[in-house]
Amino acid sequence: MDLSLNDTQKLIQDSARDFVRGSCGRDALLKLDRDPAAIMTTLWPQMLEMGWTGMAIPEEYGGTGNNLTDVAVLFEELGCGPVPGPLFSSAVLCARILMEAGSDTLKKAWLPRIASGERVFALALTESQYGWTADNVRAAAKRTGSDYTLSGTKVFVHDANFATDLLVVARVEGGAGVSVLRIDAKAAGVAIRTLDGFITGMCEVLLDNVKVATADIISDGWPAAERAMLSVTPVLCAYKVGSCKTVFDMSLNYARERTQFGQIIGRFSRVQDHLIHLVNYLDSARWTTYEALSKLDNGMDATASCHVAKSVASESHMHACDYAHEVHAGIGVSREYGLTLHTKLSRSLYHCLGAPRLHRKKLESVLGLVAA
Amino acid sequence: MDFAIQDSPEQTAFRVEVRAFLDKNVSPDIEHMADPCDMSFEQYQLRRDLGRALGAKGWLYPSMPKEYGGGDLSTEQIGILTDELTRIGLALPPYYDAGGRMGAPTILVWGTEEHKKRFLPPICRGEVRTWQLLTEPGAGSDLAGIKSTAIRDGDHYVVNGQKMYVGSSHGADYSWTILVTDPKGERHKNLSWLMIPMNLPGISVTPMDLLATGGEGGSGCGVKNAVFFDNVRVPAENLVGGENNGWKVATTHLEVEHGGMGRLADRRVVYDFIDLCKKREDGWAIADDPGAREELVNLYIESEITRLFAMRNHWLSHTNQPRSYEGSQYSLRRKLSGLDMGEKMVRIAGPLVLTKDKRWAPLRGSIEYFQRDSITSLHPGATTDIQRVIMARRLGIGGREREKAANLR
Repeated sequence: MDLSLNDTQKLIQDSARDFVRGSCGRDALLKLDRDPAAIMTTLWPQMLEMGWTGMAIPEEYGGTGNNLTDVAVLFEELGCGPVPGPLFSSAVLCARILMEAGSDTLKKAWLPRIASGERVFALALTESQYGWTADNVRAAAKRTGSDYTLSGTKVFVHDANFATDLLVVARVEGGAGVSVLRIDAKAAGVAIRTLDGFITGMCEVLLDNVKVATADIISDGWPAAERAMLSVTPVLCAYKVGSCKTVFDMSLNYARERTQFGQIIGRFSRVQDHLIHLVNYLDSARWTTYEALSKLDNGMDATASCHVAKSVASESHMHACDYAHEVHAGIGVSREYGLTLHTKLSRSLYHCLGAPRLHRKKLESVLGLVAA
Repeated sequence: MDFAIQDSPEQTAFRVEVRAFLDKNVSPDIEHMADPCDMSFEQYQLRRDLGRALGAKGWLYPSMPKEYGGGDLSTEQIGILTDELTRIGLALPPYYDAGGRMGAPTILVWGTEEHKKRFLPPICRGEVRTWQLLTEPGAGSDLAGIKSTAIRDGDHYVVNGQKMYVGSSHGADYSWTILVTDPKGERHKNLSWLMIPMNLPGISVTPMDLLATGGEGGSGCGVKNAVFFDNVRVPAENLVGGENNGWKVATTHLEVEHGGMGRLADRRVVYDFIDLCKKREDGWAIADDPGAREELVNLYIESEITRLFAMRNHWLSHTNQPRSYEGSQYSLRRKLSGLDMGEKMVRIAGPLVLTKDKRWAPLRGSIEYFQRDSITSLHPGATTDIQRVIMARRLGIGGREREKAANLR
């Protein structure tokens, strides 16, 4: 048993920390929150330069083939910002789906370009009957001549506003199961619109008779895609852990500085209790996440651990932010203070890759409470 | 990172050695009673026999130095040893020995060479059983407010007073005891620790009638007691850590008690309960109810987090890394999640978890015992409120410096 980071991971952590400190100060992040498009001209080129787009991609496809824990260490630091952008969607989630489900031709065609940062992928799965399972998919591709045309409405799609390419989950005419289709985000018939509200980086994607080449269809690709999604889930959890950590640090510092009734509020046990809840949630998310990663990287069965990690991390992230607001009161909801960036994220990512309820439902099968 | 206790070839060899040893030394007559308070003297003796056999190999206190009867074993080896004992429903040590478990590491830090040579080997070899005596009628959470005294008289200390909620069934050889050595002294500067032989004249032990044992059910501690001291003369050389220096010594002891060492947690009761809910009789299982399944999954997740906190502390302590709030965090979590799991079990399985009736009780009443024990466990080793106070200090929430954890080595 060794729960420490290795030397590679410490280097990744250091460079990510420097990046977050240097380029992602509070004012910079607040600005990008108002103008997300600027991410691609400011932060994205730096991420490419650091080689982060290639970390989760094997060397033979132009990446550096780091293991998932390495990638998670990076994402924990990015979560500390929280640093926005399509890095997870493109270089981790979609890259992994292509790796697990894609043909050799598709892998060779797209993975190197994801690794180089030239292309940015996003996963268009969820629809109006919201859910991260195949049952909820209504989008469909019809055969037209030698190719297909794809139609449907995808909504609450993460990072599609940054994407050059989309992996769309849809039913394909003549196919037995649910498939994964690659399309150009700028193709005729694709309309992407960023959604406004208490929401970070989510879009509506309208697909109206979009032409899809047969070579771009991963027939019956859903089971492999679902496996890929589950295996990168702890990386997303690590991002949440980072966010919880910052939220804890902010709250701790505030409790030590803010004075009321003639003393710092950290002296009040009611306030201390909020911080204790917060650190308990932080650590619950951290250790369930890193155990799942360790199992994945060591080739052990990580199914139960991944479900536990997502369930715990999503709940912890929301609760951590809630307790931070209890500590901060008025200043916490002032947008310029920065806490709400995390709070908004904790809600926006709660369902990403499946809400806790879905993962707990799946645990019922894993634990043998129902027939699998 | 590597969370698994993955056996290297050397570790596999060690596991094989441990299994062979346990096969040979664990008596087939050892019974696993649901309620440790039901443990007979014969059963207690069987566990002591095992303790002596373990102790002869340095495996009873495997993290203690060899020169004092320990095993100097690595984290992984201790993990394997604990693992293998857990597998057969036992703990390390296999009987209640809190005075050894917490006293020995404290003596290692604070004792003189003479103390270490005299007290540690009998503890580590399993030759003696030691209780810890801290709580009094007027001093629970406020340990520094104890009133029992040890007054120097020539080459002895004369001990008077009362300790409560202590020990186990079937007595002890020694008691690792905190007492007031300077009744007029300043708070925190008036205490000392004595290792008291329990056969001295003037000591009487009365069992208490409590809901359950609390805290360490797995190690089979049994009935808690009140201990009365009436002019008990204890040799002065049994005072450890310096006269009136007892509060400092206590910080080490309490660090261990507050969960700083970390134990690789036994979740047998959780797995047993899940299996119980899956069991199908006459075409019916508790887990058929969707609401029950939902609660069961939540119970499982709760227990996973507790296991991971324990694992983290075990790793921190056995690799000698700095700790701050983690010991109390684990303790708090264990207490609260135990209570919560107990409640979940009531909701899921109904009165079935409340009976120890021979005909109806599942798992020989161990779930019924868990119900009582999870409530009783809220107080031993400091209440949940005290654990929160310690966490707050260690995290430095009150604006002071972050309080440092006590040294365990």
